[in-house]
Amino acid sequence: MTFFGTLTVVWYSALPWLWLIALMVIIFLAPQVIARMKGYSFGSQGGMGSKYLPPLVFVLALFLVPMQTQSSIAYVNTWVDWMNLIGASIGLGIYAWFVFHPICYLRNRKA
Amino acid sequence: MPKKYLPFESVSRRDLLKFSVGAGVVGPLALTAGSVKAVNTKAHIVIVGAGAGGISIANRLTNSLQGAKITIIDTREKHYYQPGWTLVASGVWNQAKTETQVSDWLPKSVNWVKGMVAEYDPDNNQVILETGQSVAYDQLIIASGLQLRYDLIEGMDVGLIGQGKGIGSVYASLDAAAATNTEIKRWISKGSGTGLFNLPPTALKCAGAPLKMTFTTLHRLEDTGRRDDFNVEFMTPSGKLFGVPFYNDFVKQRFSDQGVTRNDFWTLKAVDADAKKATYSVKGGEDQVKDYDFLHVVPPMTAGAALENSPLAFQPGESFTGWMKVDRETLQNPDYPNVWGIGDVMGMPSNKTAASVKMHAKVLEENFLASLQGKPLTAKHNGYTSCPLITGIGKAMLVEFGWDSKLLPSFSFIDPKKESWTVWVMKERMLRPAYYAMLEGKI
Ligand SMILES: Cc1cc2nc3c(=O)[nH]c(=O)nc-3n(C[C@H](O)[C@H](O)[C@H](O)COP(=O)(O)OP(=O)(O)OC[C@H]3O[C@@H](n4cnc5c(N)ncnc54)[C@H](O)[C@@H]3O)c2cc1C
Repeated sequence: MTFFGTLTVVWYSALPWLWLIALMVIIFLAPQVIARMKGYSFGSQGGMGSKYLPPLVFVLALFLVPMQTQSSIAYVNTWVDWMNLIGASIGLGIYAWFVFHPICYLRNRKA
Repeated sequence: MPKKYLPFESVSRRDLLKFSVGAGVVGPLALTAGSVKAVNTKAHIVIVGAGAGGISIANRLTNSLQGAKITIIDTREKHYYQPGWTLVASGVWNQAKTETQVSDWLPKSVNWVKGMVAEYDPDNNQVILETGQSVAYDQLIIASGLQLRYDLIEGMDVGLIGQGKGIGSVYASLDAAAATNTEIKRWISKGSGTGLFNLPPTALKCAGAPLKMTFTTLHRLEDTGRRDDFNVEFMTPSGKLFGVPFYNDFVKQRFSDQGVTRNDFWTLKAVDADAKKATYSVKGGEDQVKDYDFLHVVPPMTAGAALENSPLAFQPGESFTGWMKVDRETLQNPDYPNVWGIGDVMGMPSNKTAASVKMHAKVLEENFLASLQGKPLTAKHNGYTSCPLITGIGKAMLVEFGWDSKLLPSFSFIDPKKESWTVWVMKERMLRPAYYAMLEGKI
């Protein structure tokens, strides 16, 4: 496949989700930027939220990601299926940490 | 003197936008980039049909030729992503997902003649339109797809689809696919009854689609929790469900596991929509009449009268009689070397899929350019065709094969013999983008 061929497939795949990608970027950036202006770094202390919510997101994603594709975890069958699902769920768990960790930091400061 | 192009001149703003979005994600894949160098020609190239094959070869040749005049002939203004119709008829997609405008895909430089070819006259290098207008060519590419012959089933009319008479057909049109979904829902809400699913006695596009419709309907029936109240039967004119032995056996087994009665060597002959009765001719036996609550009609398919009556078709006595005659590897007509084929219209085993069109387009472009330059035709089509066989709403198998049913898997890590969620996601999310990239001539 050529370079522009690959880009074209990526482009058409992303097209219906551009709004979601933009929303997720904003949800990621807003707490990060605000917290960083108040001294936050990845090493800062989080809280209950950043400890328990990312694993919860991971577990929920195992069920919700197949449902989002109009399928179900019952049809996750081959090792490739499991790798894809676990990979996507870990990704969402990490994303949740990036969102909740600075939020918890800001809450800690307020308290 | 031919215009000199800067290397980036053919990159459109749309391409640049794609570049900015996609570069981060697929940067490393750039190493695989490659393109055909432009060839100078003054030839007038006429493409018949602006469907999947016609549009993709028009885009490819626009990029790889300089000075050529390209004309495409078709009346259809809307372009449909037909592989999505099974999802529409299964209640998974809405209609809008499969509809775009032909003009969105055609390069501006291509001359679009809104007409239908009624006659091919290859001895005089011209085609004659239904209006009587003749269009002369130096090179002809036939991409006219196939004709759905509902008229060969007595009493059948596409207007009956979705009218509460229990008739559905995913093939007829986008509206018919949506109406098929309505008719299936109507049957399910009745709470019981018989559904008859069919295969045609001819070659068909996407041979997996009638099976997919059966599997997604079974899924919906099972979801009611009252599957035993419904009777599902499947009719095969040839005794076979699928051309590749492994998948044929798989579907047979699955049908028996899911309580589907198979009637082999039964061909749908007539429909009495008001009485909800279907008549079948049975090989070696008497005609049989079946009552139904839902009937999935798959019509016989042919190449269309204009082609069938021309010297460009395989003649009676040859294999693939009535379909376009091409060398199945070079896609060139053996009798008229300036005539080429792409897509469903060609007479060859299987290969009536958009996945095949993707391969045809590459081979055709390469051989077409070679021929213009007087070089031997070295690109060879390997018969590749593919069909993500949906076995339930949410799972599918990636069926890919070539000549002689040889499996040709594209991804070493996807087991072509296993049902998979990943393959379903590919079908539901990735194949439409890949199809659009194919239309643009990018893959
Ligand atoms: C329900 C369904 C499910 C499918 N599922 C899949 C799938 O899962 N995977 C897959 O790969 N493929 C699938 N396909 C098949 C795929 O859509 C076709 O193989 C593909 O569209 C063929 O491209 P084509 O250019 O040959 O024909 P088409 O795309 O049908 O285009 C033919 C064009 O030619 C025009 N034309 C016809 N006659 C003339 C004439 N005389 N003069 C001028 N123009 C003319 C028509 O108007 C049309 O625009 C499916 C198809 C259907 C209907």
